[in-house]
Amino acid sequence: MERKSEIELKKKSLLLSKDILNSVVEKFGEKVNVIYDKRNRSKIMVDPEIIVETSIFLRDNHGFDHVESASGTDYPKEDQIEINYHLGSYVNPDLFPYVLVLSTKTSRSDPKSNSLINIFPSVEYFERETYEMLGVYFIGHPRNERFLLPEDWADIPPLRKDFRLKGR
Amino acid sequence: MGALNSEFRFGNFVGSIVQLVLFILAFVTLLVLPIIFFVLFFVPLPVVDGQVLTPYLFFSMMVDPSRTIPVMQFLIHTDLFRAAVFPGFAFAALIAASTIFIERKLLAKMQLRVGPLYAGKIEGIFQLLADGLKLISKEIIVPSGADKVIFWLAPIMFVSTSAAVVALIPVAPGWVAADVDVGLIAVFAILGFFPLIILLFSWASNSKYPFIGGLRALHQMVAFEIPFLLSALPAVIFAGSLNLSNIALSQNIFWNILVMPVNAFVFFISSLAELERVPFDLPEAESEIVAGWLTETSGMIFGLIQLGNYLKLYALAGLFVILFLGGWYGPQIFPPELIPGASTSDVSLLRLVALEGLYNPVTINSIFWFTVKTFVVILLMLITRGINPRIRIDILLHTGWYKLIVLTFINLFVVLTLIYGGILGPGGLISVK
Amino acid sequence: MSSLDEKIEEAKKLSMHIVKESEEEKLMTLSVGPQHPGTGHFRFIIKLDGDYIVNVDLDLGYVHRGEEKMCEYRNYFTNIPHLERPVIHDSANITYSYSLAVEDLIGITVPRRGQFLRALTSELDRINYTLYWLAIYGIFLGHSTMFMWPAADRELVLDLLERLTGHRITHAFNIPGGVRNDMPNNFKEKCLSQINYLEKRLKEYEHIFYNNPLFRQRTEGVGVLSKEDAIKLGVTGSVLRASGVPYDIRKVEPYDIYNEIDFNVQYMKTCDSFARAYIPFLDVRESCHIIRELLDKMPESGDVREKLLSNIKGPPGESFKRVESGRGALSYHLVSDGTSRPYRVKISTGSFRNIIALPFLLVGSKLGDMPAIYWSLNYWPIEADR
Repeated sequence: MERKSEIELKKKSLLLSKDILNSVVEKFGEKVNVIYDKRNRSKIMVDPEIIVETSIFLRDNHGFDHVESASGTDYPKEDQIEINYHLGSYVNPDLFPYVLVLSTKTSRSDPKSNSLINIFPSVEYFERETYEMLGVYFIGHPRNERFLLPEDWADIPPLRKDFRLKGR
Repeated sequence: MGALNSEFRFGNFVGSIVQLVLFILAFVTLLVLPIIFFVLFFVPLPVVDGQVLTPYLFFSMMVDPSRTIPVMQFLIHTDLFRAAVFPGFAFAALIAASTIFIERKLLAKMQLRVGPLYAGKIEGIFQLLADGLKLISKEIIVPSGADKVIFWLAPIMFVSTSAAVVALIPVAPGWVAADVDVGLIAVFAILGFFPLIILLFSWASNSKYPFIGGLRALHQMVAFEIPFLLSALPAVIFAGSLNLSNIALSQNIFWNILVMPVNAFVFFISSLAELERVPFDLPEAESEIVAGWLTETSGMIFGLIQLGNYLKLYALAGLFVILFLGGWYGPQIFPPELIPGASTSDVSLLRLVALEGLYNPVTINSIFWFTVKTFVVILLMLITRGINPRIRIDILLHTGWYKLIVLTFINLFVVLTLIYGGILGPGGLISVK
Repeated sequence: MSSLDEKIEEAKKLSMHIVKESEEEKLMTLSVGPQHPGTGHFRFIIKLDGDYIVNVDLDLGYVHRGEEKMCEYRNYFTNIPHLERPVIHDSANITYSYSLAVEDLIGITVPRRGQFLRALTSELDRINYTLYWLAIYGIFLGHSTMFMWPAADRELVLDLLERLTGHRITHAFNIPGGVRNDMPNNFKEKCLSQINYLEKRLKEYEHIFYNNPLFRQRTEGVGVLSKEDAIKLGVTGSVLRASGVPYDIRKVEPYDIYNEIDFNVQYMKTCDSFARAYIPFLDVRESCHIIRELLDKMPESGDVREKLLSNIKGPPGESFKRVESGRGALSYHLVSDGTSRPYRVKISTGSFRNIIALPFLLVGSKLGDMPAIYWSLNYWPIEADR
């Protein structure tokens, strides 16, 4: 009995993610890449210039209304920084267990990205933290400034891979 | 514990003590006694027990037990004794000290703790002494930019103003440090100084938190002054006098609280606000403004303000007893003589122990009942601290200005009706005479 | 956007700033924290106009430890002891979601008895944390008895946790693959008796604290965070549920054994500080119920742990797992590059997501409401700073 409902849930989530991913790909075409599509989690990689449009589309058409988390990952080998927004929904009960990772890439030497603060106000502190930890400047964010680190911090952003911890 | 010095010898230790004792004895006999005699010969001494008190007589009275009592009798009727020791400062300070101890233990029991436990072996009874010593030994930090004169003066003013209130509270018939005809007005007039002192002190501290705290204290005390005064009014109308002793004497048949319970309630609430106790401890709200107007206090400045606070607590609890709880009246439980048959006995020591001439059963009984009632009121004030959170400033001001003032009028009208109906009051059906 | 536009924008901001400063002369700037009895390891600078708060600026980071960077230098197992430092009295939950993320990455499932033990420690730690939080809420509002009672009753839960895991706080009990050790003998009886006692005490808390008219006066209708605002700000946990969104991760995305457990999601629709103060308390009651159910349904014997290599290598990939902690959703975003150490760990904590509501709620309220609003957000400064 329980096994059956488990399988049904799995099916439902897959159908849901298929639906969302297909509509996004349909709308934006080649600028969107589906990285993975697991149970309740999927990730799309979009071009930097359409990140705002994609998020507006996701918010208005699918009911994503907040971010669970937003962060960046440094890839020095590819000379890129990846920015991830984990989108979730509090409005649509079907989407309750579902988290969509909206990610984009920016160059490592001049990291800049459009801020999503006007679409999802909940990214405010996450973006501020990412600016501080990875040095990504968020265009449109009112406060790209010191947040968690000491006020006299004068080193490179600490979550970059070329920042080494002492003694390690 | 540090190790003993290796050169320590017990004999040397005893020797040094003996030496010290001998030195003190010699000092007293050769220097102190002559000086006392010399002074006493020039000071005009009063007549005690039919003879002029010469220094010789004074010392012989101290040695002879049967002659000691008249001296004591004379001493306890001096004004200095009244102001400084019995109904005055020392008595109030003693009650304040026991209040602090009871408060700590009671709250601890309410809150699943043990409270002070170590100082003084028995339930930490000397904790207050230890705290006092600690406060005295601490450095007093005056903030830079503070107004030094006011900063140093304010705690002393605070204690002395509290002591002034205490001096007006009668404890037994005739036992009051300052027996003035406008007693109640004097109490409220003196209480009116507190906001001024607090505001001065908070301004002198040159810091933001004390300033906000001082302003809060000012607002709070001004808001509660009027219901405070109005709630005491019916008691005055009853007694036909502002003198606190007369107000207490007017209640020998029934207690005022039976006729004016609402006013007693308003008075109690207002005195809590006046004392800045929970739930009205906004001026010291630590989660908002650190410690309020006490933020910059340290060492004995803090100690003095606490002492003043607890003296005030005693004074207001005593005032409540005088106004509403029948003052010192209560069933006579002390016997007419402390030791029956002692007055006719030949043994002078027995007469001394029986306090022949000093022991007055009515006075002792009055003091006993007054103290018991005061402690009951103090206990009520303490318990509110255990069960209530802090109130917010706007609710507090609203309570003071809108609710309590209206409440006081209810009982005022009731009392006036009773008096004009000729049932109560001076010359009424049920009255003192 | 051209550079000229940016310059104009900047100039505008600057001029606004100047206008503001001339107005600011009549405002009082008050620094709340970090050396202040009303915040903890955290500061906010508020500007007061009379008794009203007109501006709030948060200053986080006093206890920033760099957990995320430290994770990149240790392997998947040695990460556990330092990851639980941000919230030591809810350490079961902060390691729970980490373990789930690692298991998701390497693709293993935990034995059934291990799953029950994990849920058990998670619920006990939720009670532990919430009692601590409740004690501080009590003293923030000047209720000294409410400060002492939960702090004392927390000892019972700590005793249980000590029996179960060996440590009162920072258990390091949840590890990738299961839990560290099995339940001791006669733990079940002990646990049930303590939980029964705790439920009795919870009734007393309700009498002395939540039903106290003064407490209600101070919290009801104070700091109203409407449902729309709560969703927009992306708050989580008790703050979200107090605003009328029945969103509990244990229910909406059941992890491990939680889909077999029958419990209710507590939520209120009043959206004020009272609701935010009451929801964690209701959660404690629900946790007591869950613990009973867990002890009842737990298999008598079995493995508690899937044996793994001590320097296990995660396959390249990502995982994102979350649990419902005492303060809301606690999620880990784990990136692996195929070595024995995580490539990137992002910890998204409930505190960090809830504190965004603080300036929003404080502006326009009175200074006296500040502690009632601030602590109702279920905020733990150390967890937010990581």
